Amino acid sequence: MQYKEFILHNARQFGTLFGLFVLIILLWILTPHFLTISNLLNVAQQTSINAIIAVGMTFVIIAAGIDLSVGSIMAFSGVVLASALEAGLPLPIALLISLAVGMVCGLLNGLFITYGKLPPFIATLGMMSVARGAALLYTQGRPISGFAEDFRSFATGEILGIPTPVIIMIGVYIIAHFVLNRTKLGRYTYAIGGNEEASVLSGINVKFFKTMIYAICGMLSGLAAIILTARLNSAQPIAGIMYELDAIAATVIGGTSLMGGEGRIVGTLIGALIMGVLRNGLNLLGISSFVQQIIIGSVIIIAVLIDMALKKHRK
Amino acid sequence: MKIMKLFPIAFILIQFIFFNLISCQRGDHANKEGPLVALVMKTLNNPFFIDMQRGAEDAAKELNVSLLVQAAERELDVEKQMQIIENLIQREVGVLCITPSGSKEIVPAIVKANKAKIPVLIVDTRVDSAALAEAGGRITTFIGSDNFDGGMIAGGYIINALGGEGEIAILEGIPGHETGDARLNGFYKALEGKNDIMIVATQTANWERDQGFNVFQNILQSYPSVRALFSCNDMMALGAIEAITAAGKTGQIIVVGFDAIQDARDAIREGKMHGSIAQHPYDMGRFAIENAKKLIDGQEIPSYIPVKIDLVTKDKLE
Repeated sequence: MQYKEFILHNARQFGTLFGLFVLIILLWILTPHFLTISNLLNVAQQTSINAIIAVGMTFVIIAAGIDLSVGSIMAFSGVVLASALEAGLPLPIALLISLAVGMVCGLLNGLFITYGKLPPFIATLGMMSVARGAALLYTQGRPISGFAEDFRSFATGEILGIPTPVIIMIGVYIIAHFVLNRTKLGRYTYAIGGNEEASVLSGINVKFFKTMIYAICGMLSGLAAIILTARLNSAQPIAGIMYELDAIAATVIGGTSLMGGEGRIVGTLIGALIMGVLRNGLNLLGISSFVQQIIIGSVIIIAVLIDMALKKHRK
Repeated sequence: MKIMKLFPIAFILIQFIFFNLISCQRGDHANKEGPLVALVMKTLNNPFFIDMQRGAEDAAKELNVSLLVQAAERELDVEKQMQIIENLIQREVGVLCITPSGSKEIVPAIVKANKAKIPVLIVDTRVDSAALAEAGGRITTFIGSDNFDGGMIAGGYIINALGGEGEIAILEGIPGHETGDARLNGFYKALEGKNDIMIVATQTANWERDQGFNVFQNILQSYPSVRALFSCNDMMALGAIEAITAAGKTGQIIVVGFDAIQDARDAIREGKMHGSIAQHPYDMGRFAIENAKKLIDGQEIPSYIPVKIDLVTKDKLE
C-alpha cells in the first residue's frame, strides 16, 4: 500500500519520467547514433548548465516567484571569474568570487522583492538588464578567453568516465533535494509559495527566507558560469541570453506549478533532460532549428496541459 | 483514473508530429549516398546565411553529396553552436563545415572534431589562430573573403566621395568579434594619413537593424554635420537609413554597408544608400561543399580558399 501511495503522490513526476522514456525510445528507433554511451554522456553534459540554473529556478517558483535575471547573472559572474583567473588569482578564490557575484546579485533581487515590495517579475527584469549591462561594461563588450588547464578541467575533465559537469550537476541535485525536503529552508519555501500570508501569521520570517531563496538562485547561476566559461574557454558578456526561459521551461515541464507551493526537484532534472534530449535528438535527425523551437514550445504547453488536467482530477 | 488516458493521447500526438517530420526529412536524403557533409552556420535568420545555404545545397545536388544544414537559433549563441557540433560528431558526419559564432569560442568544438578525426572546414569567419594553436586544434582550410580588404575598399570609397574631408560616423559590430574587428581595421587603414576626415562617433549596434536605427538617430542628434557612415554590416546600415529618412536627410549622408544583402541592394537602387561591400556567401557555401567532396574523394585541398570581395554601387546594379 505504501508504494502505491508513493506513486500517487508523485504521479506528475512519473508522468514526466514516462515522457522522457517515450522520447528516448523514439529516438532509439529513429537514429542509431542516439542510444550510445558517448552520446548519452554528451547529452548529460549539454544539459548540466540549464539543469543547474533550473534548480535555483525551482526554489524560486515553488516560493511563488520568478527569476528572469539568471542568464544575465551567469554572464556577469562568468566575466568576473574570467578576469580573476586572468589576474592570476588562485583557482579556489576565483571560483568563490564567481559564486559570490551570483549570490550578491540574487541577494539584491531578494531584498528588492521583500523589503522593496517589488513584484518578482519587475525586480528580476531590472536585474536582468543591470547584470547584463554590468557584464558588458566590465569587459567593454569583449569576451575574455584562454584559461589554464586546471580550470578548464571543470568542463573537460572526467571522473570514472563521467564528465565533471555531470558530476557537479548530480551533486547539486542531491543537495537541493535534501535542502528542499529535509531542512527548514526547504519546507518554508513550500509554505511561502502555498500561502504567504499564512506563513507570516504562523511566525515564519518570510522576508529572510525569501531573500535567501533568491540568493541561492543567483549563486547557482554563478556555478553555471564556471562550467560555461570552462566549456567555451571563454567568458562572454553576451552569454546566457534567454537562458532564463530554458530554466523556467525545465522547471515547468518537471511539474512545478507557476502558482507556487508545489514542485519536486527531481521533476526539474527530468524536465531539463527532456529539453536536452529533444535538442540533441533533433540535431541528430537533422531537423532545422526553426522546427526545433516549435517542438520544444509544444512540449512545454503539453506538459502544463497535463499538469492542469491532473490537478482538476485530484480535486 | 480518467487522467491516465490523457498520457497516451499526448504522446501519440508527439509521435505523430515526430514521424511526420522525419518522413519529410528522410525524403531529402533518401536517394543519396556517401558520407554526410554537415554545414553549421551562425544562424538561419540572416539573408547572408540563407544565401550560403543555397550555394551549399546547389553544390550538394550537383555533386550528389548528402548535406545537413544546422544553425543555432540566435547568431551569438556560441554554446548552442558547440552543442550542435557535439551532436553532429555523435552522428559521425564525414566532414564538418563551420561558420564560427565566436572565433575563440569555437576552438574547443574544433578540438573535439579533431579527436573524432572529422575534417573541419571553416567558412566566412576566421578562427583565432593563436587560440587554436594553443589548444592543439587543426582546421583543414579556411574558405572566405578578407574582411580587412573589404573595410579598406569601403574606406577608399568614402574618402573619394567626400573629396577627402568631412565628419564621419561608424557603426561597429560586436566588439571582440573577428569579422567586425577586421572590417574596422581595414577601414581605419584606408583612413590613415587622411587628417581632414574626422571620425566623430563610433559605436556598436550589435549587428542589428533596430539598434542601428536607435544608435544612428542618437548620433545624428549629437553630430548633425555627419556626412558619411560606415556600417560594419548592412542590417545596421538599413536601420541607420531609416533614422536618416526620419531626420529628412535621405541621400545627404553617404552610407556604406557591408554584405550587400537584398534589402541593401534595393536601398542602393533607390538612392538611400551609396554602397555595400559584397561578400559572396553563395560562393562560400558552394566552395565549402565542393571542397568537402574533394576531401571525401581523397584529394588534397589548399589551406586557404579565397572568395572574392567587392563594392556594390548604383552603377554596378544597373
